[in-house]
Amino acid sequence: MKTMKKIIFMAFTALLFAACSSDDDTVETEIVPEAFAEGIFVTNEGPFNNGSGNITFISEDYSTVAQNIFRNVNGKELGNIVQSMGFTEDNAYIVVSNSHKIEIANRYSFESIDSITTGLDNPRYFVSVAGNKGYVTNWGDPIDNTDDYLAVLDLRNNTISATIPVDFGPERLLEANNKIYVAHQGGYGQNNKISVISGNSVESIITVGDVPNSMVVMGNTLYVLCGGMPDYTGTETAGSIVKVDLGTNQVMETFTFGTTEHPSSLTMDGSNLFYNLDGKVYKVSTASINLPGTAIIDGNFYTLQAKNGLLYAADAKNYASQGSLLIYDIATNQQLEEFQTGIVPGGIYFNE
Amino acid sequence: MEKNWLHIFFMVFLCTASAFAQLDSIQQLPEVVLTDSKLIHFSKGYKVEKIADSIIERNALSLTEILRYNSSIYFKENGFGMVSSPSFRGTNAAQTAVIWNGININSVFTGQTDFSTVSPLNYSEISIRSGGGGVQYGSGAVGGSVHLNNGFTFQKIDTTHIGIRYGSFSTFGGNMSTTQTWGDHYLNVGVDFISSENDYSYVNKNKKNNHGQFLRFTAKVNEARRMKHGVATWNSEYSYNDRNFSGSLNTIGKDAYQDINTRNLWQLQQKIGRMDLKGSFAHLFEKYTYFPNSQKPHGTGGNAHTFMGGMQAEVLFAENIRINGKAEYTFVEAEGDNVGSNTRKTLAAVLLLNHKLSGKFTYGINFRKEFLNDFDNPFLFSADAKYKVTTNYALRMNGSKNYRVPTFNDLFWNAGGNKELQPETSYQVEVGQEFMFRKVRADVAAYYISSENLIKWVPGNGGVWQPENISNTRNYGIEAQLGYSLRLNPAHLLDFSANYSYTKAEDLETEKQLIYVPFHKIMGTLDYNFNRFSFYFQGLFNGEAFTTTDNSDIVASYSVFNLGAQYTLPANANVTFGGRLKNVFNVYYESVSYRPMPSRNFEIFLNFNI
Repeated sequence: MKTMKKIIFMAFTALLFAACSSDDDTVETEIVPEAFAEGIFVTNEGPFNNGSGNITFISEDYSTVAQNIFRNVNGKELGNIVQSMGFTEDNAYIVVSNSHKIEIANRYSFESIDSITTGLDNPRYFVSVAGNKGYVTNWGDPIDNTDDYLAVLDLRNNTISATIPVDFGPERLLEANNKIYVAHQGGYGQNNKISVISGNSVESIITVGDVPNSMVVMGNTLYVLCGGMPDYTGTETAGSIVKVDLGTNQVMETFTFGTTEHPSSLTMDGSNLFYNLDGKVYKVSTASINLPGTAIIDGNFYTLQAKNGLLYAADAKNYASQGSLLIYDIATNQQLEEFQTGIVPGGIYFNE
Repeated sequence: MEKNWLHIFFMVFLCTASAFAQLDSIQQLPEVVLTDSKLIHFSKGYKVEKIADSIIERNALSLTEILRYNSSIYFKENGFGMVSSPSFRGTNAAQTAVIWNGININSVFTGQTDFSTVSPLNYSEISIRSGGGGVQYGSGAVGGSVHLNNGFTFQKIDTTHIGIRYGSFSTFGGNMSTTQTWGDHYLNVGVDFISSENDYSYVNKNKKNNHGQFLRFTAKVNEARRMKHGVATWNSEYSYNDRNFSGSLNTIGKDAYQDINTRNLWQLQQKIGRMDLKGSFAHLFEKYTYFPNSQKPHGTGGNAHTFMGGMQAEVLFAENIRINGKAEYTFVEAEGDNVGSNTRKTLAAVLLLNHKLSGKFTYGINFRKEFLNDFDNPFLFSADAKYKVTTNYALRMNGSKNYRVPTFNDLFWNAGGNKELQPETSYQVEVGQEFMFRKVRADVAAYYISSENLIKWVPGNGGVWQPENISNTRNYGIEAQLGYSLRLNPAHLLDFSANYSYTKAEDLETEKQLIYVPFHKIMGTLDYNFNRFSFYFQGLFNGEAFTTTDNSDIVASYSVFNLGAQYTLPANANVTFGGRLKNVFNVYYESVSYRPMPSRNFEIFLNFNI
């Protein structure tokens, strides 16, 4: 199996080489399908402080696994702590938090297009709107709770067109109904807000449970998973799932976990929500939320992503060695595949 | 690959080599009595290497560099002058004890000493003791210990040293010390500083070290007073470090660190009949502040006071049996933004015995028991022996049980600190052989260390990291040293020394080599002295080391060479000047992954001895 993988990888690298060296040969570029057209990206944070993160690609048919694709295509490293990635129709925006930058590459060839290196301070997550505008959450100085902001990017010239000061600890964000919902997980501390951004200003702030760490949209409802205040804060609070009406931006309902339960990594498939809690993956139906739901898979995963009947789970192992991506069938809860990734796999994305 | 490193080995062996004969013109101090006598009397079966004064003078800026080029200790350094942590025989930084005048000075918070914060100047002696020293020196003396000793004498001395240095990257240094004796008094006072812009370029990377500025200031006072039946001594030092921390190849340095350490030791020695009694009291203070952003005033920090009181009695029976009994009480009081306010009390009882059976054979047996700790009180023991087989050949052996107690960070860090932690324990044995044949000196040592319950921070549920006693390791290796000096004629002296170490350190669960432990390290120095002129060429080969626990990634091996020369004025033997060129071949190298070390650079100095 190992040798097989090696051969495939070598063949793949050779293919890449061919693809790269024929930039000006338009005929061939049209014929050769783009290297990363269909498959799974895993962003690997990389070792903290002393190294570079990278991106692993696994083709949709699992036939090729390519490590370190950005460097292999472009001959340069991504930088320190590859936090996350976001997309437009053509491009991938790779947020490199500790290098305070965003690397922009073509999402299908992974050829570098540009990078944004000024105006970002501990950037975390990226989302694009209407193909020409992007929002990036920034912590600023991690121990200064007053300098956190959203950078608004003009994606036509890859510059920062505006900054929006926000409450502290902005983390994940998503776009719904032309508005941006920013979860304030709280950086190295804890917060309990969702900022609703319209254009270049904060339209409203929704108070949710403590430590909103992940969210998904289903129909006109935003589901926010809140981890709760951890034990070490001295004021431990329970985790919760908060339903927000996207029409009114009001909290509709809050479902609470046990006081010592601190869930993370909310994802959804069909009408089911999935999340991580105490070394297990739980499934809960949005039709009748009954916490904690059903434990379906054992494993302490760094992040989860569900899609089309499959659950993708990243195992960061001891955070100082190569991690892996596991793929489970949600119908049977059986593991289908396991692929090696880079160090600290923290984000799972799809190209199709 | 195998051949490749052999090749390099021989190249280094042939081209270079260490240790150096003291330049004759420098005034020789009378023999001093060290404040820590344990190192001499109760370490017979251990390898104890004294670093020559000339080596310290030539590396006056950095203790890390002294040890990197002259011992088998491997150092990780986050760029020049940045945090520098040792690995002694493949153990980690907290398992290397730094002993100041017999007292363990590793940080209460981290359990380590950052070697960049220690000035190598103005000690009577810097020594390296290989192997476990838990019985004598307490927690953390697992792989070995580095000893910074002061001494005293009542012979007539009146000397003053002044040195000034200048080097690349706007590096300035200065030191001044004076030693005086009069009647029953001995007094030594010294100050030194170094400040550097440290903005070296990263070789071939088109980048600079823009945020690595540092300043170190140290002051030391050592005093002794002879009394009717004994001696009273006071050793004191103060050090201040202010550093910006360098970024890495792909991060911009932003953070900064300030620390202050003070150390004071008062001892009273009395001779009563055949018994030497020594009462001692010590106070250590450490304070640090970490600034995530050097431009902003927000910082987090901590400070700790350590008070030690001890009483020891030493008796020499029949000229060949030496027994030393000691009781020592330690009280630590520490507070910090992340560790709260906590104390620790320890009472240790130590019994040391050395028996010189004959002129050829000597052995020692030692015990230590601690009380009052909150964890299982370790009982430590060690035994050592040395056998001089012939005048040219000696064998030494030692075995010991050692330990390391959890640090205050391990126990109380918020979040994650684990109050249930137990001390790490470790067993080790060593066999060494020493050869002396005319001008050739050689030493070959083999050791084996088995460590249990090593404290490791691991991710727990909910993303909070916690330290646990979970890791078990096994280290073994060999260390070989060779020295050779050749006097070509009365005016020409050639001195060569080389060092090789092989270190295998593996995690017993994964059977992988521990991170940042290179298998191979080779050093060598070739010294050439001609009248008042001296010249040296120094080289280091540091083998590749793994940076991930699954050994999937490495920090590359490197070879670095330095060249130095100095000249003592014929008209006035008290003035010496010289310089050195470091990283002669301008190679790119990292001792920590993505943390480049300096490009080619120079340093010049001017020393006065009055």
